[in-house]
Amino acid sequence: MKTKLAMVIDSSTCIDCKGCMAACKVENKVPAGHWRNWIKRPEANFIAMEKAAGTAGGHFQPGNCMHCDTPTCVQACPTGATYKDEKDGTVQVNDELCIGCGSCIPACPYGARYRHPQKKIVDKCDFCEHRRLRGDLPACVVTCPTKARVFGDINDPKSDAARLLKQNKTTRVIHPESDTEPNIYYLNATAPMDWPVKAKIPTPIQLWGNVAKPLVWALVGINALGVLAMLGKQFILPDDDNQENDQREGQQ
Amino acid sequence: MSLTADKPISRRSFLKWTGAATAASVTAAQAPVLHALVPEKKAGAPAKVENRFSVCDMCLNKCGLIARVEDGVVTKLDPNPKFLKSRGMLCARGNAGIDQLYDPDRLKYPLLRKGQRGEGKWQRLSWDQALDHAAEQFTKIAEKYTRCGVLFTPGSDMQSTFVRWFAEVFGSYNVTTHESSCLLSRNRAYLDTFGEVPFSDILHTKYLIMAGANRFEALITPDSIDLMTAKKNGCKLVVLDPRYTKTAALADEWYAIRPGTDMAFFMALAHVIIGEKLYDQAYAAEKLYGVEQLGEHVKQYSPEWAEGECEIPAKEIRRIARELAAAAPAAIIYPGRRTSDYVNSTQIRRAMAIVNGLLGNWDQPGGLLAARQVGLSGPELPDSPFYEDNPDDRADHGRAHMMFDEEGSFKHMRDAIIEQKPYPVKGWFAYKINPLQSVANRNKTLQMIENLDFILTVDIAMSDTAWMSDLVLPAPSYLERQDPASGLQGSSACACVVTRDPVVPALFESKPVFWIFKELAKRLDLAEYFDFTIEEYRKQQLKKLPDGERALREDGVYYNPSKLYGVYEGRVYKTLSKKIELYNKRYADMGVDPMPIYRAPRRKPSGKFRMVVGRNAYFTHCTSQNNALLHEFMPENTLWINPKAAKRLGIRDGYMVEITSKAGKGVLKANLKEGIREDTVYMLSGFGVLSQGLTNIYGKGACMAEILEDYADEISGNMAMHETFVKVIRKGA
Repeated sequence: MKTKLAMVIDSSTCIDCKGCMAACKVENKVPAGHWRNWIKRPEANFIAMEKAAGTAGGHFQPGNCMHCDTPTCVQACPTGATYKDEKDGTVQVNDELCIGCGSCIPACPYGARYRHPQKKIVDKCDFCEHRRLRGDLPACVVTCPTKARVFGDINDPKSDAARLLKQNKTTRVIHPESDTEPNIYYLNATAPMDWPVKAKIPTPIQLWGNVAKPLVWALVGINALGVLAMLGKQFILPDDDNQENDQREGQQ
Repeated sequence: MSLTADKPISRRSFLKWTGAATAASVTAAQAPVLHALVPEKKAGAPAKVENRFSVCDMCLNKCGLIARVEDGVVTKLDPNPKFLKSRGMLCARGNAGIDQLYDPDRLKYPLLRKGQRGEGKWQRLSWDQALDHAAEQFTKIAEKYTRCGVLFTPGSDMQSTFVRWFAEVFGSYNVTTHESSCLLSRNRAYLDTFGEVPFSDILHTKYLIMAGANRFEALITPDSIDLMTAKKNGCKLVVLDPRYTKTAALADEWYAIRPGTDMAFFMALAHVIIGEKLYDQAYAAEKLYGVEQLGEHVKQYSPEWAEGECEIPAKEIRRIARELAAAAPAAIIYPGRRTSDYVNSTQIRRAMAIVNGLLGNWDQPGGLLAARQVGLSGPELPDSPFYEDNPDDRADHGRAHMMFDEEGSFKHMRDAIIEQKPYPVKGWFAYKINPLQSVANRNKTLQMIENLDFILTVDIAMSDTAWMSDLVLPAPSYLERQDPASGLQGSSACACVVTRDPVVPALFESKPVFWIFKELAKRLDLAEYFDFTIEEYRKQQLKKLPDGERALREDGVYYNPSKLYGVYEGRVYKTLSKKIELYNKRYADMGVDPMPIYRAPRRKPSGKFRMVVGRNAYFTHCTSQNNALLHEFMPENTLWINPKAAKRLGIRDGYMVEITSKAGKGVLKANLKEGIREDTVYMLSGFGVLSQGLTNIYGKGACMAEILEDYADEISGNMAMHETFVKVIRKGA
């Protein structure tokens, strides 16, 4: 069976220490103000806690790009820079092809993408491809104190990820109108569940997509495209800095 | 000099550039640093990659790590999977260690103060000039005021041991460590109950009560990680905290206890356990001293009485006592770490230790464990010189009942210096410690400084204490240092040895404090006492561990497979009665309550709040707030205030508030949190800095050390940081 890389996360053991976020940031040289991964938490229900003395009920939910099976970001990309890698099932961004237009950013229900302010392209979690190539696990997985994140090929029955998936009930976090078939599986239940947004795919790209992409792939060598791309990416979308706010303690 | 936001920078160009930038910001008139830090790589050539073991120094845990070095630049720190104490993890701070190494705010060369203290005018000195000046100043003070006229404050890293050794051969008893802002009252209480300070076998425990600790945020290895594993294996976690911390959030039960009333809760547990005979009576007869006295004493402390104090329902206290006793001996009242909270903090911890005693958990799986054998040897050092004219005791001696001579009490030392009693202390040597941010009542520390003739600080960056100093010497980070070996206790995880060798050469002109002492010793006729290298020192430390050097080289850690449980079989307890002392004989002899007597915390004046202190997982005390990466998690501190209390004051989330105590005041943003009691406020330490050399945080937030009033634990002299009442007013929207 084909390799399918995924994460199985026991969010009930996450202590929200931000180790995974720091590790990712250093490993992938993610610029200040941006993150490739996150830890979400539901609103604490203090009214319920007051009613039943002693209850606590907190939960933290680590995540990152879900490397979906039907990725809306791939649909939204006008150049084919964002693609589903057939060899391992990951969703990747080809830096050479990305024009930084940002169409894929609102197309992701999970806010997993950001525009790299220096490189002027879109960046996101790639399951630490460069580390995997040298035989290491992704930085977030290795660093996690409670080993909440388990990574592996879920089509390989010998992998820890596949075993966990087989032996446990799991939950995926999905927007009801944008089921992209994500490849992060949370053991048992997780919270919060209601944070993904409906995928927004720009209409022109939806219409052109199937025509334009093969063309772009054919024309990648042509410099003129680069010029067009530079023009295009400057006005299609503003920088999206919303994700930054989620990660700051002060905002929680 | 500034970077434009859209210009991409590689780490290499950043490295070259950083030197000049900080020189400009900290020391306006100086020439840029000349070091070319990294050789330019030939375009296209593959990076030369090396992986090197080291040990983290971002906090005190010393987690094993592997540094990836590409062409001489550290690009990533990963956990050492063979390092069991941390269970093979590296937290956010550990990952951000790179930003301590490559921090543009690092100190780069010796700086001599010009102008007033704290004015920020500095002159660059050569190392020779700096060391000559320091030696001259310390000699002057020694001649005029005796050698005890110099205060030494070591930090908590692996070279801090040399600060003690230098103080000893220089001739000063006045060594004051970080510990009096931290855990001395806990140590006192457990020493005076079990004869030794225990380590908790959290991994194997079935029931754990955590009061006054926040182990899922204030990370301690292996405790924090083992607590989650234990929970997964069915351990019940009960948390008492006036704040809904992350530990509280993940607990099975959380009670927002009234601050300062923990003793009432624990004495009520003892009341139930003894009253209902839920303890092992054969064990008690053999091992415990004072069960009968305690039984009489706690009759007054019923759960119904305790509910009136701590606001935890009596029926829950009763239930918890029974569940706890049923889980014993695999049940723990967690001793905690930072216990610098109340004027009776030793007695509060005694109450907790006594319940542990009743649970019979000492030396048992899932209970409290004695220190394991690590096997390091003390190096042979020459006998230190005797100075006839020195006074009899430390300057802070006698200001608390039972202080630790080797740790002292910063609060009491500061008072002694200000009062110049019993004798003048006029010099201060500070190594990687920052009392201006970490010790309650900053204005008093500033007053202490006014009484000093000469202050020397050795640190990596311009801390507030460095900023107020006369001479500032740059130290390398842990990734550039060679350190002695260090023994670590990890309860059931390990008893192990770690060490450090440089991962990369030291940047700028930074020099390890060991080298600084060697050079100072030469100038003070003390060279013979520092006539050794760190390699020689380490060799002596490892002499009884034949496998030590190899293991450190190959695995980055050496484990001693020493006994874990049953260490006390056939051994007596190091107490007066030679048993576990529920009733402390020595206390009785000294006029101290031999069993904890409940005294309600000082009454909060109406309209005010009690300030409590705490930690998160990104900042170690006040050391990493300026770290470029960690700073992103929390760019400034805020005041946690309950929405109901805030509403009465017209304060909304994000409003600026002014917070005032008898000691000082600060202005910061309000952070409306339902997860804090209405009578309590909380803020994090390490902001509101004086130092303009901390460019990410200068001008951000408020300084907790300025607002806290300086109370101390009556028995241990530990700082008492939860005794301050503050007024909060709206400052603006």
